[in-house]
Amino acid sequence: MNMALLRMTLKKNWVLIAIFYGILTMYLSVMISMFDPEEVNKLLEMVEMFPENLMKAMGFTSIATTLTAYLASWLYGMLMLGLPMVYCIILGNRLVAKMVDNNSIAYLLSTPNSRIRIIITRGVYAILSLILLFTAVTATGVLLSESIYPGLLDIAAFIKLNIITAMVNMVVMMISFFFSCLFNEAKYSSLLGAGVPIIFLLMNMLSGVSDKIEYLKRFTIYGLFDPVGVINGETVWQAQLIYAAIIAVLFSSAVLIFNKKRLPI
Amino acid sequence: MSERPLIEVKNVTLTYRSGKGVFDLDFNVKAGEIMGYLGPNGAGKTTTIRALLGFMKPDRGECLIGGLDCTKNAAAVQQRLGYIPGEITFPDDMHGDEFLKFISDMRRTAKNGHKGLNNNHKNRQKELTELFELDLKGRIRKFSKGMKQKLAIVTAFMHDPEILILDEPTSGLDPLMQNRFEALLSEEKSKGKTILMSSHLFEEVEKTCDNVLIIKDGRIVKQSDIHGLAASQRKTYIVRTSDAARLAALMEGENFETGPLASADSLEIFVNSADTGRFIRILAGADILDLDVKAQTLEDVFMQFYTGNTGDGGAAKQNEHGIT
Ligand SMILES: Nc1ncnc2c1ncn2[C@@H]1O[C@H](COP(=O)(O)OP(=O)(O)OP(=O)(O)O)[C@@H](O)[C@H]1O
Ligand SMILES: [Mg+2]
Repeated sequence: MNMALLRMTLKKNWVLIAIFYGILTMYLSVMISMFDPEEVNKLLEMVEMFPENLMKAMGFTSIATTLTAYLASWLYGMLMLGLPMVYCIILGNRLVAKMVDNNSIAYLLSTPNSRIRIIITRGVYAILSLILLFTAVTATGVLLSESIYPGLLDIAAFIKLNIITAMVNMVVMMISFFFSCLFNEAKYSSLLGAGVPIIFLLMNMLSGVSDKIEYLKRFTIYGLFDPVGVINGETVWQAQLIYAAIIAVLFSSAVLIFNKKRLPI
Repeated sequence: MSERPLIEVKNVTLTYRSGKGVFDLDFNVKAGEIMGYLGPNGAGKTTTIRALLGFMKPDRGECLIGGLDCTKNAAAVQQRLGYIPGEITFPDDMHGDEFLKFISDMRRTAKNGHKGLNNNHKNRQKELTELFELDLKGRIRKFSKGMKQKLAIVTAFMHDPEILILDEPTSGLDPLMQNRFEALLSEEKSKGKTILMSSHLFEEVEKTCDNVLIIKDGRIVKQSDIHGLAASQRKTYIVRTSDAARLAALMEGENFETGPLASADSLEIFVNSADTGRFIRILAGADILDLDVKAQTLEDVFMQFYTGNTGDGGAAKQNEHGIT
C-alpha cells in the first residue's frame, strides 16, 4: 500500500462513487416511498397482471408484504446488482488497463514503489470504494425508512442483505480488475471486464424465466445470492465464505500477473 | 580503475510478438559518463530503455543498474533513477503543480524512501521550473507539447537522481529551451551524474555526450567516443575545376572517394575529417576555380552509419576509439 497513491486515486475517482450513490439513493427513495402498507394488496394485483415469468426474470421472486422483503425483492433482486456492476466495470478498467494503454502508468512505476505495491493499492481502493458505497446506501436506506415508516424496517436483516450484496458486487469488481491487470489494451480489458459480469447477470435473469433453465443461475456468481432468503433468515455464511475466497483468488492472481507481465510503456 | 559500470546491458535480446525488437545489445555506461543513444525511428532505443526501467523483461541477457537487476529490483533501482519517457502521457486530469507534488509524495512515501528529502525536492523543482520558464498552473491536458516536455524534464531531475535515463528529452522544445537543457546536462555532468540519452539529433549528442552508441534495426552498429565519431565522419567537398575528370582520377589515385561526374567542371569528393590536411595539400597543386563544403545534413550522418557505409575509416576508427 502506498498512501499517496491511495489518496490520489480517491481524489480522481470520488465523483464516480458520488454519482452511483446518487443513482442508488434515488431508486431507494422511490422504492421506499412507493411502499404503502395499505397499498401492498394493490401492488399484488398489479404484479399478477404481468406474466409470472417476466416478473421472475426481473428478480421479483416472491410477493413481499413487509417493507424489508419488499426492498429485498424489488430492489436487491436486480437493480442493486446491475447498477453497481456498471460502477465496477468503469472503475476496474480505469484503475489499471487505461493507464497502461495510455502509458501514464510509466510515471507510477518510475517511482521507487514496486509493481506489487502499486497494484495492491489500486485493488484495495476498488474494494474500499465499494464498501464505502454500500455503507452509504445502507445508512441512507435505514434513515429513509425510519423517517417515512418508523419501525417498519428490519434493520438487522437489511444490513445483512447489504453485506452479501456488497460482497457479490466485490466479486464483479475483482473480475473487472483482473482483466484490467491482464490486458495491456483497454479495449480488451473492457470487453472481458464488462462482458463476463454481464453474461452472469443475463444468465441470472434467464434462469428466472423458466424452471427448465433455472439451473443456469448456478453457473454464475449469483447462484449463491438469494436476497429474499437472507431476509427470511436463511444462513449466508457459506455464501460469504465462498465469495470471500473468489475475491481473494482473483485479487492475488491479478497482482501476480501484473507483477510478471511485460509493459510496453 | 576497474570500478563497476553503473549501467550494464549484457547480451540483451528483447523481441515483440512481431519479431521486431533489440538483439544482443551489450554495452556499459560508467559512473559520470554521458552516453548518447542515436538511431533512426523504430531502431530500438525506446525498447532498450523499457528493459532498463524494468518495464519489460528481456528474452535473454540482463540489465543491471548499480549492480541490481532492473526487472527483479525495479523499486530499488528507481530510487537512484530519473526518467523521461519517450511517449509522455501524464495521468488524467491533473494540474501541473499537483502532479509534481504527487510524484514527490510517491518517492517520499516509498518504503525505502528518504524521509527528509522533500524540502530539497521543492527547491530543485522551483529552480528547474524557473530555468525552463514553465507555468505549472492549469490542467496538464491543456499544456502545449513543449510544456509537457518541460514538465517531464522537471519530474526527472527534481529529486536530484544520480542516474538519468532520458528518451528523446528535447523533442518539442524550442531552440532556446534546447540550449537551456544542454546547460542543465553539463551542470549535472559536473555533479558527476551518469546519463543515458536517446536522440535523433546528432548535433545534440555531439554537444553534450562523451560517448555515443548507434543502433539500427535493433542492433548496435557503432560504439565510439564522440571525438572518434567526429574524426571518422566524412565531409563532402564540391570542387569547381577546369577538368573534373582529371581531378577525379587524381583524387582516386590518392584514395579519396569521388561522386559521379555531374558536369565537366564540378566534382564531389568525400573526405574523412582526419584526412582533411592531406586533401587540402593535394587541392593546392590542382587547378581549382571554387571550393564549397556541402552542408552535412542529419541524413548524411545517419546514412553513413546506418547503411553501414562508413567509408574506409569506419571499422578501423571503431577499434581505435572504441570504449570496450
Ligand atoms: N508495443 C509494441 N508492440 C510491438 N512492436 C513494437 C512495440 N513497440 C515498438 N515496437 C517495434 O519495435 C521496434 C523498435 O521500436 P522502438 O520504439 O524501440 O524504436 P525507437 O528507436 O524508440 O524509435 P523512435 O525513434 O521512433 O522513438 C519497432 O520496429 C517497433 O515497430
Ligand atoms: Mg522511441
